[in-house]
Amino acid sequence: MTKVLLIEDDGETAEEITAELADRGFEVEWSADGIDGLDKARSLRPDAMIVDRLLPGMDGLTVIEALRKDQVRTPVLVLSALGAVDDRVRGLRMGGDDYLTKPFALVELVARVEALLRRPSESRETTLHVGPLELDLIERTAKRGDRVIDLLPREFRLLEYMMQRNDQLLTRAMLLEEVWNYKFVPATNLVDVHMGRLRHKVDGPGETPMIHNVRGAGFILRTGP
Amino acid sequence: MRQAQIIRSNTFQWALAVAGVFAVFVIALFGFIYWQTDQYLIARTDRMIASQLNVFAALPGERQLDAIDDHWRQDSRGVLYAGLFGADGHRIAGNLEQFPPELKKNGSVQSVSVMRSLPAGRDTRVIRAIARRMASGDTLVIGREVDETREISHVVGQALALGLLPALCLCLLAGAWLSMRAQKRVEEVNQRVQRIIAGDLRERLPHRDVDEPFSNLAAIVNGMLDEMETMINALAGVGNDIAHDLRTPLTRARLTLERGRTNASTLEQLQTVVDKAIANIDQSLAIITALLRLAEIENSRRSAAFGSVPLHEMLREICDIYEPIAENKNVELRVETRHRLSVRGDRDLLLEAVANLVDNAIKFTPEGGRVSIELTRGEDETIVRVSDTGCGIGEQEREAVLRRFYRSDKIRSTPGVGLGLNLVAAIVKLHGFRLAIHPGPGGRVEIICPDRQPG
Repeated sequence: MTKVLLIEDDGETAEEITAELADRGFEVEWSADGIDGLDKARSLRPDAMIVDRLLPGMDGLTVIEALRKDQVRTPVLVLSALGAVDDRVRGLRMGGDDYLTKPFALVELVARVEALLRRPSESRETTLHVGPLELDLIERTAKRGDRVIDLLPREFRLLEYMMQRNDQLLTRAMLLEEVWNYKFVPATNLVDVHMGRLRHKVDGPGETPMIHNVRGAGFILRTGP
Repeated sequence: MRQAQIIRSNTFQWALAVAGVFAVFVIALFGFIYWQTDQYLIARTDRMIASQLNVFAALPGERQLDAIDDHWRQDSRGVLYAGLFGADGHRIAGNLEQFPPELKKNGSVQSVSVMRSLPAGRDTRVIRAIARRMASGDTLVIGREVDETREISHVVGQALALGLLPALCLCLLAGAWLSMRAQKRVEEVNQRVQRIIAGDLRERLPHRDVDEPFSNLAAIVNGMLDEMETMINALAGVGNDIAHDLRTPLTRARLTLERGRTNASTLEQLQTVVDKAIANIDQSLAIITALLRLAEIENSRRSAAFGSVPLHEMLREICDIYEPIAENKNVELRVETRHRLSVRGDRDLLLEAVANLVDNAIKFTPEGGRVSIELTRGEDETIVRVSDTGCGIGEQEREAVLRRFYRSDKIRSTPGVGLGLNLVAAIVKLHGFRLAIHPGPGGRVEIICPDRQPG
């Protein structure tokens, strides 16, 4: 069972997060302050951690820095009421960890924890395969079965990102950050429009749909129904 | 209390120190003048008595005695001394009681203490004198008391008293006055600052229109207070705006939930209610997020992270991103970048600003219209222009659109948070660029980047 350590001082928030993660099949350990959290992180060896930035005892980023000094590479999702225009946060993201600004949707939180746990390994493969989909990263061509899909550069990047994370819920915010490199949420629903066009190209008439819209949450690429 | 304060005040202590130094200097000066004059008088006296001795010594016996008697008897001031002493030391003539023992015979002029015989008795004086043993074996003594020295010291003392004392008094008075004045002004400033601290932001420091450090300082502080007052008022305005804009979706959420609780009878109905409530809460959260983002940009000093931003590439990217959206709305989106132009700035923020403008333009352009993004050169400036065939921004609305949450009445029905242009303005300001909103027909907004950025 996947073990997640949650360090969050607000009991009610912690309760909701714990319940949601438990529903999704995670084993959750909860700690209410930084010092206890750091102890638990060292002794329990969780697979992923969710850390609030402002904590009594020791602040969240300091906990993470202490762990990294001990060569503990557990992926961390930092929760914060503070905005993300911050050098320390940039450092976090570069280190492969993630940052989520409060308030957030539980769906978003779970999607990001799963993304952290299933970070695509640095593969040398130059062709990606998901079911009948095939993406050649060198030639920059896409095929579904024998049908060639004609993609614009950004559509290609979007499909590449989704194929690396198939069967995984990708929220609009995640896509904006990773595919469009946007540091802000635009007024218009950019992602939906672009995704609509990509879906139109990937899921041809009569074919089983592969790109699914998860209502109020985001998108998922999968072979099954 | 007040006096003690004045004495302890820095200004007064400085005045006191200056007065002290001044006094020491004046006393030294007077001392020097006194000493020089004294030296001069002594030298003159010495020359005089030496020549008198020569004259007397040259006189024959009888005439010499007369001359000696005449010499001191005719001296009304009683400063002249003469005496003739026999070889055994007894007095032959003159007003000296006895031969002064320290006086060297045939020496030069020297200071010596002598006993003078007066009609009323005798007294002891210190005089300049010279003695010579003559061929007859007698010793002739001529002397003079340099009484001018005493007069001079008297005069000098008087001059000192007349000059120095008033000057010192003046110094102390000026010191006391200056420190009192400073104290008074500091006290006045303190009272006003206390009022400002207590919340009266309209209060200002006293300021006279003269070029004086204290007034200049007051003017600087007043300038700062002006800026702060404007900011705080703006903040209060924002607070009201936020309250207003947050209330709308929160009220909707509350009403939906309240009605749902009473009326929903199936799970499906309840879920619809909850979804509506969540959508309204998300709208409130979006407002808060936008505001925080705005504050973040307004407060950031990120110019350290500035780099060269190739605008032509950035505009093409934005066009790429918004093309499908424009197409969905049947609006033509065009980008014209005839030049390859770069500016110094933060790429992410500039992208956000231009994307916001394009987003707005597409939103407010009716179907079949056109939005164009242009990159051109003006005189010493690079211009990013976003124009559309929409309704444009009216003359009277130009100021207002930059206010937070302002949404034109014409577009109330279009969804959005109403902070877009604020964000653009904040980003543009952070870069030292200018935002120009042109009047209709059609919308035309420009970001003007001068080649020489201020700061």
